[in-house]
Amino acid sequence: MSDHIRRIAVIGSSRIPFCRSNTIYSEKTNLDMLSAVIQGVVDRYGLDGEQLDEVIAGAVTSHSKDWNLAREALLSSGLSPLTPGITLQQACGTSLQSALMIGAKIASGQIDCGIAAGTDTTSDAPIAFGRKFSQRLVKMGAARTGKQRLAAFKGFNPAELKPMLPANGEPRTGMSMGQHCERMAREWEITREAQDQLAMESHQKASAAYDAGLFDDLVTPWGGVSRDNNIKPDSNMEKLGSLRTVFSKDAGATLTAGNSTPLTDGAAAVLLASEQWAKAHKLPVQAYITASRTSAVDFVNDEGLLMAPTVAVSEMLQRAGLTLQDFDYYEIHEAFAAQVLCTLAAWESEDYCKDRLGLDGAMGSIDRSKMNIHGSSLAVGHPFAATGARIVGNLAQILEKAGKGRGLISICTAGGMGVAAIMERD
Amino acid sequence: MSTTEYRNWRLEHDLDKVCWLTIDREGESSNSLSQDVLTELAQIVTDLEKNHPRGLVLQSGKNHSFIVGADVREFDQVKSTEEAEQFIREVHRLFDRVEALPFPTAVIIDGYCLGGGLELALCFDYRVAANIESTRLGFPEVKLGIYPGFGGSARTTRQIGGFQAMQIMLTGRMLRAHQAKGLGLVDQLVGPHGGLRWAARNAVLKGRKSRGPGRAAKLTNSGPARKFLAGQMRKQTSAKANPAHYPAPFELIDAWEECGDDPRKMLNEEAVRVARLINGSTSKGLRRVFSLMEQLKSQGKGSDFKARRVHVIGAGVMGGDIAAWCVLQGLEVTLQDREMKYIEPALKRAKKLFAKRLKTADRIAGAQSRLIADVEGTGAERADVIIEAIFENLEAKQKLFEELESRVKPTAILATNTSAIPLKDIASVLKKPARLVGLHFFNPVAKMPLVEVVYDKQTRAEEIERGSAFCNQINRFPLPVRSSPGFLVNRVLARYMLKAFQIHREREVPKEALDKAAERFGMPMGPVELADTVGLDVGLGVMGTLGGEEAGEEAALLKALVDQGKLGKKSGEGFYVWKKGRAQKDSDAVEGINLESLAQELMQPYFDECRACLADGIVKDSDAVDAGMIFGTGFAPFRGGPLFYLENSSKRSEENEDE
Repeated sequence: MSDHIRRIAVIGSSRIPFCRSNTIYSEKTNLDMLSAVIQGVVDRYGLDGEQLDEVIAGAVTSHSKDWNLAREALLSSGLSPLTPGITLQQACGTSLQSALMIGAKIASGQIDCGIAAGTDTTSDAPIAFGRKFSQRLVKMGAARTGKQRLAAFKGFNPAELKPMLPANGEPRTGMSMGQHCERMAREWEITREAQDQLAMESHQKASAAYDAGLFDDLVTPWGGVSRDNNIKPDSNMEKLGSLRTVFSKDAGATLTAGNSTPLTDGAAAVLLASEQWAKAHKLPVQAYITASRTSAVDFVNDEGLLMAPTVAVSEMLQRAGLTLQDFDYYEIHEAFAAQVLCTLAAWESEDYCKDRLGLDGAMGSIDRSKMNIHGSSLAVGHPFAATGARIVGNLAQILEKAGKGRGLISICTAGGMGVAAIMERD
Repeated sequence: MSTTEYRNWRLEHDLDKVCWLTIDREGESSNSLSQDVLTELAQIVTDLEKNHPRGLVLQSGKNHSFIVGADVREFDQVKSTEEAEQFIREVHRLFDRVEALPFPTAVIIDGYCLGGGLELALCFDYRVAANIESTRLGFPEVKLGIYPGFGGSARTTRQIGGFQAMQIMLTGRMLRAHQAKGLGLVDQLVGPHGGLRWAARNAVLKGRKSRGPGRAAKLTNSGPARKFLAGQMRKQTSAKANPAHYPAPFELIDAWEECGDDPRKMLNEEAVRVARLINGSTSKGLRRVFSLMEQLKSQGKGSDFKARRVHVIGAGVMGGDIAAWCVLQGLEVTLQDREMKYIEPALKRAKKLFAKRLKTADRIAGAQSRLIADVEGTGAERADVIIEAIFENLEAKQKLFEELESRVKPTAILATNTSAIPLKDIASVLKKPARLVGLHFFNPVAKMPLVEVVYDKQTRAEEIERGSAFCNQINRFPLPVRSSPGFLVNRVLARYMLKAFQIHREREVPKEALDKAAERFGMPMGPVELADTVGLDVGLGVMGTLGGEEAGEEAALLKALVDQGKLGKKSGEGFYVWKKGRAQKDSDAVEGINLESLAQELMQPYFDECRACLADGIVKDSDAVDAGMIFGTGFAPFRGGPLFYLENSSKRSEENEDE
């Protein structure tokens, strides 16, 4: 254990191209994809046979058979089998949280290196029987006599056979993420046009980044795919404007398939280390993680479900002694265009910042030209657990190319939580 | 247990007294069953016979590669049929002993398991295979002019029934793990995230045995069924191979028909027949083809060049098909032409190719996502390889490359697919003329395995290496050739086709007879049909570059046809009328013509031109000439290449004179 806090170095990342669900990765599993991105890091940084201190990774939509997902995935990679794997889940914040946990252990001197990763697929959805039928099966398995077996099916109703699909929604409210976001958009009066504009810019920026070769180091072709298949280089306001709203039929509804992220399959991983370890392995450091914060909102009692990043960022900045304007880059995860715009509006609102965040005044606006400069989830897609690692990897590269600077990461998650982090390079 | 050290094998014992036998051939990147490897195996088996472990598991020490077969290189050292037979019988005895080991045995197949490797695996009680992309099982022996000789013909027919066993041995088809499981060659599959070691250990501890063929499959080995099936197999095989040129599959059918229900007798047949085949000229020729292929593939190994993106300019037949092929090999390709309407037909053809080769919807969709139409040509800036395939016009090509040079990555390969224009003329407009190479593909790209890597005096040697490495990456064989009209392949073919037209015109020998004579000699297609297939307009163009004075009358003949719109296969008529992709031939036209002497006459200019190319230093040596002509024109593989054939036939005639 070291007696002082060490710096948390981001060495770099690797991910596979993201694909809309049920397209090119329709035959792939979480285990396939997570192994592939861990291998991607191994290949990129020459870690074949290397024993790392930890791999922390997870998936949001997961089969019960994948209960040891992180460990199984690393065993399918070229890493030494002596590397432990920890499976962790915090909805869409999963792999950012994984990076922060590895980072904390590096900072405190408990470990020297680790890979944080996430994967998700809704193409390989875990489909289960309802509780009633599952219990019958358990009973039948325990039965010793024919009579007991028969008894297990007493009162059986064929309706019990209806499979349970994993719900992309909140258990306590019964509403989908999109329906929640639709409410937020109404509350903050976010227009359809503003949302479409943000979506279009995300596509254009991501497309330009691809064309400039900026994703070449970050994205490793895999499974027959060489680039994210959701990016639309020709995205325009007219096309986006013609789409129907999908979460509500109200006349005032604004969320469409164009300004919301699609269900996506994909995975991403990022390598973190102490400076000593990086030096010993002759690996340059792209950037450092310097602060983080996880917060939550009381969405059950009507706070906006995806507003928690406003709190996380505010609390993090107070602790770090920084203002919202002290950044060169902002990576605000785009679950929905409306959610990004609500977050920005809340930071600009004096009332919200005073009443909800307990500040003296508004946090103010950010320079939008510094936000998501290579596009974000609206364009590249959003495999829930993979997004954090994608963003950390992306921001680390941006900072490396810039030479120096400071970047802010903010990710909203299901369950009304937000994860924020600061990355710097000097 | 003895602690003998082996060079190619490792023996370990675990807690359960299971013996783990690992094959890891010394000094080689893959395992093959050489004499040395087999001699050591015999010692190990003697040891195992004395000291029974609880079970035995065979595995490979090479990463995702089991055993690729017998060591083909050693075949050439076999001096006589008797010696070959003795060797085969020795291996039979050894494999019998492996099969008879009095404790449970299992084998782990992870990666290539071919020929002798599969034959050894069939001696084990239980086979576990990794269900991954790189696992392949099969018997490629017929491609070397023999059939499985380490007990494979006997054990495979016994294991999965004669009908299926014969199909895989006759075709040399490579099976994926799940296909092998379906046929019963493999007993258990383990996925990419599974534990092969534990599956094999369980099999041994539980004494699992392979189930063998189902009743219906077994029945195909019975007398009456065999008789009938053998007839069918002969018919099907003759449609693809001439028994006089390729005796091996027919020998195998004979052996099975005679004694397919008795594995002991099948073994005996193997020893006799395979020994004879090994020492025959066909197998020698085909082994030479194999070694020529290895030689071609070894080029470019000195370069670590690896492409991720390719940019192809010109979406015509060649450009479009090159683009589609590169995509099929896993690359991302941007395809450029003046307007979208010129690119669309190429995309359509590509989709057909993907559907045919990739089968499943997700893989086809993946391939399609990697083929990107690029009218603006911005892909050139990020591409690792840029291939120009526009029409044959020097000024147009010069203009194109002049503009490209400033935009492309300094590390990118800059290539032209020209077949007619000297490399140095195009390169002259570049600031760095040394970086331009030719990558000359053949039509149809998906079927022709050769690419001529064209260089000239000014070309940097490193570029030839990099171009060759790229060819290997996309599974094409690179053949470095010096830039001169027609390079190697077209130069030889042009002479040969010219001769055919000349005989046809001057002596009115029917085209059918010319084609038949060439096919009898062993060419995959006669010269007239070939001209129709390539396209008469293309042929006329080539003649323009190559023909010289003497081509005058023949060129006029071709031009007349082209002027009438008769372009060959693609227009439905050339020399032949084409229906459903087949030339309509008059089979009576061949009557009363001495095809053998006609073939000699036809082939003469082909041989002369091969010699001339060698003398002119178009390629580095006679092996390169032979390799080019086999893989570029399909020159009768069983003859081992034109120069090899000439050398051998002159040797043969000398021997005859001596007698």
